[in-house]
Amino acid sequence: MTGRIARLLAAAALLLGGAGCANVPSGGQVVTGESAERAERVDDPYVRLIPVKPRPEWGPAQIVSGFLAASASFDDNHKVARLYLGKQNSWDPGLRPSVTVLASRITDPQIVKATDDQATVRITGEEVGTISSDGQYTASPKALDATFQLAKNQQGVWRITSLPGGEKAGLLLTQDDVERAMRTVNLFFYAPDRHTLVPNGIFLPVVNRQTLPTQLVHALLTGPTSWLKGAVQTAFPEGTRLKRRVQVSNEVATVDLTKEARTGNLDRMSAQLSWTMRQLSEIKRWQLRIDGEPVTPSGMDSTQPVHAWEVNSPDGRTPHDEAHQNAYVVGPSGFIGTLEEDRAQPVVTGPAGSLSRPAVAPDYQEVAGLSADEAQLLVAAPVTGTPATRVVLTAKEGARFTAPSWSRDGTLWVVESKEDESWLWVRRRGEEPVRAAHWGLGGRQVLEFRVARDGVRAAVIAHVDGRPQVQIGRIAHAPDGSLDVGSFLPVSSELQDAVDIAWRDYNTLAVLGRANRDSQTLPFLMPISGSAITSLGVGSLGEPQTIAAAPGAPILIGTRSSGKDQVCRQRSPSNSYSPWICPTPAKDPSYPR
Amino acid sequence: MKRAKRFVRRGLIAAQRVLRGAVRSGYTRWRRSIQVRVVTSTLFISAIVVAILGAFLMQQISSALMDAKVKAARLQLDDGLAQVQRDLGNSPGDDSRLNTTIDRLKSRSGPTGLYEVYIRDTTEQYFDGYTTNELRQESVPPRLREKLQTAPQGTRAYTYGELSYVGDRPSESGLIVGGRTGQFELYYLFSLEEEQRTLTNVGRSLAGVGIVLVLLLAAIASLVTRQVVIPVRLAAQGAQRLAAGRLEERMRVRGEDDLARLARSFNEMAANLQEKIGELEDLSQVQRQFVSDVSHELRTPLTTIRIAADMLYENRDSFGDPSVGRSAELLQSQLERFEALLADLLEISRHDAGAATLDAESLDMRDLVLRVVGDIQGLAERKGSKVVLQLPGEPCMAEVDRRRVERILRNLLVNAVEHGDGEDIIVSVAADRDAVAVAVRDHGVGLKPGEGQMVFDRFWRADPARARTTGGTGLGLSISREDAQLHGGWLQAWGEPGVGSQFRLSLPRVAGAELRGSPLPLVPPGAGDARPLFAELEVQE
Repeated sequence: MTGRIARLLAAAALLLGGAGCANVPSGGQVVTGESAERAERVDDPYVRLIPVKPRPEWGPAQIVSGFLAASASFDDNHKVARLYLGKQNSWDPGLRPSVTVLASRITDPQIVKATDDQATVRITGEEVGTISSDGQYTASPKALDATFQLAKNQQGVWRITSLPGGEKAGLLLTQDDVERAMRTVNLFFYAPDRHTLVPNGIFLPVVNRQTLPTQLVHALLTGPTSWLKGAVQTAFPEGTRLKRRVQVSNEVATVDLTKEARTGNLDRMSAQLSWTMRQLSEIKRWQLRIDGEPVTPSGMDSTQPVHAWEVNSPDGRTPHDEAHQNAYVVGPSGFIGTLEEDRAQPVVTGPAGSLSRPAVAPDYQEVAGLSADEAQLLVAAPVTGTPATRVVLTAKEGARFTAPSWSRDGTLWVVESKEDESWLWVRRRGEEPVRAAHWGLGGRQVLEFRVARDGVRAAVIAHVDGRPQVQIGRIAHAPDGSLDVGSFLPVSSELQDAVDIAWRDYNTLAVLGRANRDSQTLPFLMPISGSAITSLGVGSLGEPQTIAAAPGAPILIGTRSSGKDQVCRQRSPSNSYSPWICPTPAKDPSYPR
Repeated sequence: MKRAKRFVRRGLIAAQRVLRGAVRSGYTRWRRSIQVRVVTSTLFISAIVVAILGAFLMQQISSALMDAKVKAARLQLDDGLAQVQRDLGNSPGDDSRLNTTIDRLKSRSGPTGLYEVYIRDTTEQYFDGYTTNELRQESVPPRLREKLQTAPQGTRAYTYGELSYVGDRPSESGLIVGGRTGQFELYYLFSLEEEQRTLTNVGRSLAGVGIVLVLLLAAIASLVTRQVVIPVRLAAQGAQRLAAGRLEERMRVRGEDDLARLARSFNEMAANLQEKIGELEDLSQVQRQFVSDVSHELRTPLTTIRIAADMLYENRDSFGDPSVGRSAELLQSQLERFEALLADLLEISRHDAGAATLDAESLDMRDLVLRVVGDIQGLAERKGSKVVLQLPGEPCMAEVDRRRVERILRNLLVNAVEHGDGEDIIVSVAADRDAVAVAVRDHGVGLKPGEGQMVFDRFWRADPARARTTGGTGLGLSISREDAQLHGGWLQAWGEPGVGSQFRLSLPRVAGAELRGSPLPLVPPGAGDARPLFAELEVQE
């Protein structure tokens, strides 16, 4: 018996001793892990407003204020906001409501007319823009003036009986509310070449993170917003819907489409879905199903990684696979050269070497440039030796050309612009230049015009309201084949001046400009989504004039400092805070692609 | 349907039976095996100890985890409150500033699962503050809010609660810390899922270790008791064999421990026992021999004495003194008795020595009975008794030793006449397939309880006061019994005071065959009750 007790005690001591030995390690090998890929994610933490239910003692004005505040909460399909409404009102904004964006909160609703059980409340405010139910934001600054009808119900409390805009009315949210409750996400559609994807930024309400993948895919299936409609195509056949919600487990998403999708091209649909879903960090791989059955696109497993389909990148085919592209610069002694290890190696000399703002075509067949007074557009080929130049366009009296811009199919784009007029010229390879039939900025002065690598979007610097503004437009092909370049929307309001732009990648512009508080022209990275711009590098740049950018390549700035032209780059291009250095005496840098 | 029901019932009954059988066999094993008892109690006690230990450890780990969590949470809250204080101060709620603050606070919340934040401006009446991600504001329990509202500035409070979320994220338990600065209430909500998972893992490991430990202890106990129990079991088997008469049985002695001592003592005991039993056997052998020798030796002088006595007896009338003649008569009769005694002694010593042999021949029991009855007819008439015979019509053949059976029957009949008090004596004979039986019934004084067995003892007398001079030698029934047993048969007695007695002789038809029953009842029909059955019970060996 004592033996047994002794055994038990020994076991207990062993157990306790073992627990005592379990120490936190104070040494050992280095363990590495991968970091989260990008800082800015669609499913980053977000903040939700907590609405309050209407209190019985509130008067009509307070009810309206409470309703406006509560409509910023998407919880449970605006359950709380609907408590402010009378019984008859079947207002239901849904998961993707249209939104009127106000500059600030409406603090003082006025009671225009009030009887014992009826009241009219008027709100006034400053409208900034609207978000349509497909997620497209349109800036439309104007004054807002709306009225609410209220009545007392049986319980003797005030309720809203009529909303401005009726029962189909959207939400009235402040900019803060929109920023809090909505995310800008990209949907991806195909450019007319049926291969390159084009991002379509939309505002999507974050109802909660679990439904976000479903909302996103649903938005993708709904099609492009009005802005890109006609300019892009989708691979999903008409009527394709989600059969059930997008299920995410263990970083693997399952997208189940209805049977209409059977007629669609699996590869192209997969590419669209992959590019769209890779914005969610919780999804690493995904599986496509049609009507419940898993389908496998060519050359893939049935569960494909979201980072597949790089060939459909909006930035063109992956720049990593091809030979590193060199930037072209204009050398001080009148030649166009490639930039190799900070030294300009002459490639084109002779008359073509003295072109201003030269741009080499993506296929390296031609080089286009402007004359010194920017009144003539010249082309030279081939891009080697001493080719002869040929005048393609000559500007009207008092007009000048923007720097020529190539799209990937070899089309040359250039805008001829006067003080209050502009024309877009398009020259297809081997053809004479023609004027675009529809040009959205015909009544404005355009300073720069750059076609995105997807060939569908174009960034411009246009004179709007007396100052240069960066805008994005889209290039659509009308059914009769004529070009429609328009629907220009401002990207950001953080710059008060812009000098030059370049497409860094499909989502970001590199801009030379002046921020609202600065006095100096500096390079910035400007996300297309409209989120905050970030400055690039530190150190003096003198007088920056031109900027060149390409995916995966360092940003180059042509600057003029104490009368000398220099091309500057960051000491360490991968670090956005690394200082600028200007080792090359040259100007007008550009990347062919 | 019915069949199914029946089937189920049958199955249930079978299961019950199996269960009962298992319980019974388990109980039997528990009772019979020390090893089972020791292992079971070790299992039981160590399981209790390990369970207590495990619960204690779990409690310790859990409270340590929670302490660390609460500490971290309070630091986080202090940090957050300082941030709010710095950004907002006591200024009236400015939307954009509140938004920036919230943006900063949220940056560390979210998918990493560190915590969620809920901030609330108490002066704002149109909305109830902001939460991060999917957290529902109901996750902050009202008791915590009330506590903070009534508490003085700078109070930090924490509680545990359930964190609920919008959408279909399941709610989970969590730690909620809250504090107030100026008009703002700030809450940090920490999910305890990770801790719960850790605790579950630790608990599982502990349970696994505990089970292994308990099983190990049971195995050790089993091993140790085996070492003790096996020698004990061997000793028990040895003792059993010894008891069964195998006196040469010994235990193996191994080592010098307690068990070896036990084995040695056992062996000594067995040796002593064997020696003593041998001595006793020898002694009884010597005694038997002595009796037999004495009987033989007495015979020769007795013959001489007999001749002389006969002569004296024949000439008794020639003695002048009549008393001398009387003495000669006395001498003659006592000599006859002496001779009979001697013959009986010799007979019984032959039985004792195992020298008695059966001289079997096939005979009709009726003839034997008739002869013996004829022999004692005179004696019976003298006593005034009448012998009534109840014989079956057909012959009752059996393989018997004529001399011995006649002796038995004579003995029984003489006894019946002597103790019959002049009443009728009934002699019945019966036979069945395997056996024949003869019952002799008298209506004399009968037997007292217990005497049914004692009548067969040597030199036993119903009435000790009765002189030895009358009656037989006192060995007659003993010899009869030995004779019956030599045939493989029974000799049994029944009696009741005042009612009389009956002796029944049952013999197998084939000599040496086993006797299963008797064709005649021991208790005569119409006499007595079940009580005297003791005789039958005791005699059936």
